[in-house]
Amino acid sequence: MSLEDLVLYAVDYARELGASYAEARYHKNTSFSIVSRNGTIMGAGQELKEGIGIRVLVDGALGFSATNQLDNENVREAVEKAYRLAKAHARLMKKPIEFDDSRVGRARYSVVEKKPFTSMSLDEKINVHRELWDIVSKAPSEAKVPVFFLNYIESIEEKIVANSDGAFIVSRIPRLTVFYNLVVMSPQQGSIQRFEQLGASGGLENLEEWSLYETLDNDVKVYEKILYEAKEPPKQEVDVIVGSEVVGLVVHESCGHPSEADRILGREAAQAGMSFIRPGMLGERIGNENATVIDDPTIPGSYGFYLYDDEGVSARPRYLYRNGIIYEHLHNRWTAKIYGTHSNAASRAMDYASEPIIRMANTYFKPGDYSFEELLEDVKLGVYIKSYMEWNIDDTRWSQRYVGLEAYLVENGELKGFVRNPVLEVTTKAFYSKVDAVGKELRFYAGTCGKGEPAQGVPVWFGGPDLRLRKIRLGVAPK
Amino acid sequence: MREELLDASKKLVEKALSEGYDEAAALLQQRRTVMVKLANSEPSVIQRWKDLVLNIYLVKNKKILVISLSPKTLSEVEKTIKELIDVADKLYESPFYAPLPEPGEPVKLDLVDKKLLEKIEDPSEIVERMIEAAHREKIDYVAGMVELSYNEKALATSKDASFYEDSTSIQAYLRAFAGEDGSGQWSIGSRRLNLEKIEEMALIAARYAVDSRNRESIEPGVYDIILSPMVAGNLLRLVGMMASAFMAFMGMSMFMNKKPGDKVGSEKLTLIDDAVNPELPGSTGFDDEGVATYSKPIIEKGVFKTMLHNSKTAAKMGVKSTGNAGWISPRPWNLVVEEGSYGLDELIGEVKKGILVTNNWYTRLQNYVEGVFSTITRDALFLIESGRIVKPIEKIRIADTLPRLLSNIDALGRERYDIWWWEVEIPTRTPYILVRQIHTSKHTV
Repeated sequence: MSLEDLVLYAVDYARELGASYAEARYHKNTSFSIVSRNGTIMGAGQELKEGIGIRVLVDGALGFSATNQLDNENVREAVEKAYRLAKAHARLMKKPIEFDDSRVGRARYSVVEKKPFTSMSLDEKINVHRELWDIVSKAPSEAKVPVFFLNYIESIEEKIVANSDGAFIVSRIPRLTVFYNLVVMSPQQGSIQRFEQLGASGGLENLEEWSLYETLDNDVKVYEKILYEAKEPPKQEVDVIVGSEVVGLVVHESCGHPSEADRILGREAAQAGMSFIRPGMLGERIGNENATVIDDPTIPGSYGFYLYDDEGVSARPRYLYRNGIIYEHLHNRWTAKIYGTHSNAASRAMDYASEPIIRMANTYFKPGDYSFEELLEDVKLGVYIKSYMEWNIDDTRWSQRYVGLEAYLVENGELKGFVRNPVLEVTTKAFYSKVDAVGKELRFYAGTCGKGEPAQGVPVWFGGPDLRLRKIRLGVAPK
Repeated sequence: MREELLDASKKLVEKALSEGYDEAAALLQQRRTVMVKLANSEPSVIQRWKDLVLNIYLVKNKKILVISLSPKTLSEVEKTIKELIDVADKLYESPFYAPLPEPGEPVKLDLVDKKLLEKIEDPSEIVERMIEAAHREKIDYVAGMVELSYNEKALATSKDASFYEDSTSIQAYLRAFAGEDGSGQWSIGSRRLNLEKIEEMALIAARYAVDSRNRESIEPGVYDIILSPMVAGNLLRLVGMMASAFMAFMGMSMFMNKKPGDKVGSEKLTLIDDAVNPELPGSTGFDDEGVATYSKPIIEKGVFKTMLHNSKTAAKMGVKSTGNAGWISPRPWNLVVEEGSYGLDELIGEVKKGILVTNNWYTRLQNYVEGVFSTITRDALFLIESGRIVKPIEKIRIADTLPRLLSNIDALGRERYDIWWWEVEIPTRTPYILVRQIHTSKHTV
């Protein structure tokens, strides 16, 4: 039986057993990685996760079962287990689970690598590690780089999604990911650490796009200066230019996550928590007119790219906050039913062994029309926070903290030296209400977003332009 | 499946050697798992897995390849092994290379609970009991999870290791909500099913939810803090992970510039990697290289005692493996904190101005080498003044450094809890811990 037939067989069999809804997803994740420390290749890895995940609705209970043994017998057993477990727990349901009647699609799509992974030899890929180490290790003048850890990952995600409402989606998405961890150290000054993830869908064309050779050389030089020269941030209220990298994280944490309708309805309450957004808060103000945040899975080349979600619904941009108003949530077909709306295709699973749940894709703050110079020009005293390391946010997504890594003092519209570990610690409403100017340059950053039980990490982009916030009291990270 | 798994693991090693690799190891893991996730006091999804994961370690001319596959068939794996020999040829000699070790005699542990095994087919009774127990208190609803698992693993290496182990485990946690702002969370992890313990877990969560209603805000500052076992588990897991020699090599550890014998904490702190404790769900008799595991202190009376090694990191540092492989990175199996002599009331009695923190999440570091971190509290949080709890309070961050946290430990409870959940991935047995003079922070606007 072909894989497509096996998926359809699972759906049909679940319906035969009596499931009111059935869905099967063949899901294959392959990856190849090369790991180095200080330019020396430590090893290579290959990963293959391939199997079928099945979801069924039985008497109002939701069952999920997964197997990687892709023969009729095991798939049949997986369907039966999902059905029986759901049925056994149906007596504990107070409010039966139902899905909305969103229109589902039948489509095949794939992302084509402009430069396939095979267009570079293994030797050349290994050389990237060595050359980057050469640049990084030589960049500082006095300090040392004791560790430069680099992980290069090529991956391909392939899926066949079918459900009893007629969806049939076949997709293939290749991605390139680079992680690095960098420590710059001086015996007198201590250390500074930078961890970064770069990622996009597509192939090796992304490697050129990221221009790692130039940026890392410059970054390490900057980190050394921070180590030697950075001063404590001002203690009084100042204007803060929040760099696009931090803005991206802020919108992910304090707009994207709280807008997940399953969180709002309490499905993640014991894990990542709930949301300050409660049912009925659509239309309420969360920020000023400048605050518009969009989540869009359809951005070409994006890390969180997809055209149909894992429930077979067609993807589109979602305006989560619009001109300061809580405008739209991220929905799957279950939350859409409760809200009396339609799914906006936010349902994604990490791999065959994971249930599809509501996820962000590519979340960004809508750009405005200020140049960077214009953002700075009337700041008398301020801090520009370009990048971060430490951050966290509470479990309702209200109180959040971002600790700057590369940060500058701003005096009379000009950058004046480095500030050490400034802490931006604000509520969600304060952040979106204090944005008084929005940059015009939109930049994206890659991340692996964690959610669910068992935890699922999925690729996302988050981004935005640089923003200016007025009158913020910054803290400083402990030494 | 014992014989099948052992057979398959041996065959994969033989295949690798016949393809021209110098060394090989195959670790096959089969799991049968059921998980019921709860929200609003009812199941939100019932998940079940049955899968087999093949992990293969290959060496050619000191070049290292690691493969993880969940393949359709074994022949597919053999094909991958064959194909990768070309990749291995082109790689460079790994600076971490060391020959696979001679296998030890695995510790024989009784890790299977038949009662638990039966419940994998239908855990609804456990779910019902958890929900019912929590609702004995005046709460509104609970969310949470219970997972039961039967795991089998078989390891073969080209040094003639051929070992098998099977085990059961249960992880359960609940978060209870009461009124506008009351919430409490607790967890349990074990190799064995004990319904009374699960009820106790549910009741702790529910009581904290009820007791933490009507919270008031406090100003951040320097406080004595009592870390509940949930919080201690979350923060000490970082210390346990950082004790991995690989993490130190990678610049991801506060032990990067430390060596065994260095003082790293209060003499009241002893933190053990308890690999062979048959009650704790991380236990195992052999590691991924076939080295016998054993219990060892990571920190003993405040002194850094053992860095965790596999044979590679051990060879690099001229020491012996500690039985903590991971082929690439060593890791702790279970973390156990030695108990103190205090009851919780007595710990509270020791505090003039402080906070009892019962749960936290989202711990992130600004700098691993220096251990600069913050974490945000959640659920029940109580202000302590002059030796007694005065009121429940709103969320606040702990923002300090791990070295200071370890050094300022002043007293430990005598009762220990077995914690295992989303934010405590390494099973941890720990008491409540009193830490003096810790910095806190909260939003300024």
